[in-house]
Amino acid sequence: MKRLLHVTPSGWTGFAFAAFCILILPEISGRYWLSVFTSAGCFALAIAGVAFMYARLGMVSLTQVGLMGVGGWVALRLNYAFGWPFEVNMVLAALATMVCGWVLALPALRMRGLYLALVTLMAAGGLEIIFATFQFPNGGTGFWGVKTGSADPFLRPWIATSPEAYLRYVIICAVLGFVFIELHRRLQPGRAWALIRRSEAAAMAAGVNVTLYKTWAFGIAGLLGGAAGALLAGSLGLLDDGTFRASESVMIFALAVVGGARYWQGAVVAAVLYKVLPALLNIWGVDADLAFVIFGVGLLHAVITAPDGIAGQLIDAVRGLTAKRRKEASDA
Amino acid sequence: MLEIRNITVRFGGVVALNDVSASFAQPVSGIIGPNGAGKTTLMNVLSGFVTSTGGSVTRDGQELLKLAPHRRAHWGLRRSFQKEEIADDLTVFENVLVQIDHGRSPASQKTDEVSRMLALVGMADRADKPGARLNSFERRLTDVAKCLVGQPRVVMFDEPAGGLSIDETRQLGALIRQIHAETGAQVLVIDHDVDLIREVCAETLVLDFGKRIAFGPTDAVLNDASVKAAYLGTEEV
Ligand SMILES: Nc1ncnc2c1ncn2[C@@H]1O[C@H](COP(=O)(O)OP(=O)(O)OP(=O)(O)O)[C@@H](O)[C@H]1O
Ligand SMILES: [Mg+2]
Repeated sequence: MKRLLHVTPSGWTGFAFAAFCILILPEISGRYWLSVFTSAGCFALAIAGVAFMYARLGMVSLTQVGLMGVGGWVALRLNYAFGWPFEVNMVLAALATMVCGWVLALPALRMRGLYLALVTLMAAGGLEIIFATFQFPNGGTGFWGVKTGSADPFLRPWIATSPEAYLRYVIICAVLGFVFIELHRRLQPGRAWALIRRSEAAAMAAGVNVTLYKTWAFGIAGLLGGAAGALLAGSLGLLDDGTFRASESVMIFALAVVGGARYWQGAVVAAVLYKVLPALLNIWGVDADLAFVIFGVGLLHAVITAPDGIAGQLIDAVRGLTAKRRKEASDA
Repeated sequence: MLEIRNITVRFGGVVALNDVSASFAQPVSGIIGPNGAGKTTLMNVLSGFVTSTGGSVTRDGQELLKLAPHRRAHWGLRRSFQKEEIADDLTVFENVLVQIDHGRSPASQKTDEVSRMLALVGMADRADKPGARLNSFERRLTDVAKCLVGQPRVVMFDEPAGGLSIDETRQLGALIRQIHAETGAQVLVIDHDVDLIREVCAETLVLDFGKRIAFGPTDAVLNDASVKAAYLGTEEV
């Protein structure tokens, strides 16, 4: 139990960073940046889902943004149909997306590496077509709930109706998501995943039900992606199919690797690159496509020199510095 | 008694196992044979990674071939691999704990058992060391501890002495001989090191090109003319 709840230095840094995002960031941000940071928070949560699958099981999932779309769709649909509180819609959206994750796991369980990536990419492509065809509910009638003209209001959580409060709300949800993954890593599923990544045969010989734990991982990625989609719907009040293209899923996965899939910092770096950097370029009046060039450079950098991503490099640098300082202190 | 009957495995044109039968009755039994003889394949059949066309494997009245691989582990089958499989990002302790994670016994009982087996193999002082930082002997010992937890019934080692020094091999041999007394499990050992086999195995099965060419008390088997012929040019006996 002590081991389970032990907070590592990296964990404390994470909580400190979250405290900064909750207490200070909303105070110093204008409307534009509030919206940018809120989106970044939603995507950080979704990225945590793919990053964990890659870091813990070595599985490449290229459907995450599509799953976000599923979560967003369900949340919008429930909102307009029943007018339930936001939390209820979000939880149901996350659970529905988890089930989608399981369905996705069915074909994926027999495949590995490139083939698995291709299957998930095809799923993302399928979702892209569905979203483009049927659009997202905006208060219209019928099952698909789409009407022309302006959208009906989307109910935000009653404790977080202002943009500042909503940013805090999203950050707290993201932190819960990260803690959820970390707890899994420290418990039975984490051990099973570590062994599966090492070798499926070894995992089976150790009594690990490989099918169950792989499905479980897909479910968690779906759960987090679905919650992130619902949160994004709450942030924007409406969703656009352009947000959930298959190419975005590929981008998010690449950025998760660039950021460093093994660390929470990696998901934050990825979300910042994905959402904050283009917003910055936009303000500077630079073509937003420059962001893609920067992503490409980052990916090359990660592939060539930084297998643990930018987060891994930062952590190594900090460790190196403290070790050096300690050495200087002991020398003096 | 571990009863193996009529196991046949084909990989395309290669007959990896050709109607192999053997009843292992001793606490520790050996399986030897030249490279490619089918030893690992036989172990894979027992583990459930490879399917035999027909045949059966029974122990304590349980037909093993009917169970899914992870269910065989729950039943009490343990194995180590030719290349040890220790997860780098788990500690020694966690690597062993995985093996009994599925069980319903309380957590404290599981941790006690893991600690006891780590002490038995001599890894208790390194229980918190991450897998990535272990040397090859420490990895092998962790592997052995993994095979001992959770009331094993059958433990199989695939070339456990591969890559170990003479001293380490001797230590490992002593450990393997303790297993039956400590846990009651029946042990199967594959190895090319004939000295190790002679020292720890009371009976031995010899395979060559997927066929059983000898089976019986180790000394008698090692002096068998056909066994010597099979090894001629590949290994000295
Ligand atoms: N998965 C597989 N697919 C195809 N052929 C295989 C497979 N596994 C084993 N074989 C073949 O089956 C035969 C027996 O292999 P096996 O690994 O059982 O030998 P072994 O006795 O363990 O040898 P070694 O001492 O080298 O470990 C070999 O000819 C091998 O090439
Ligand atoms: Mg072999």
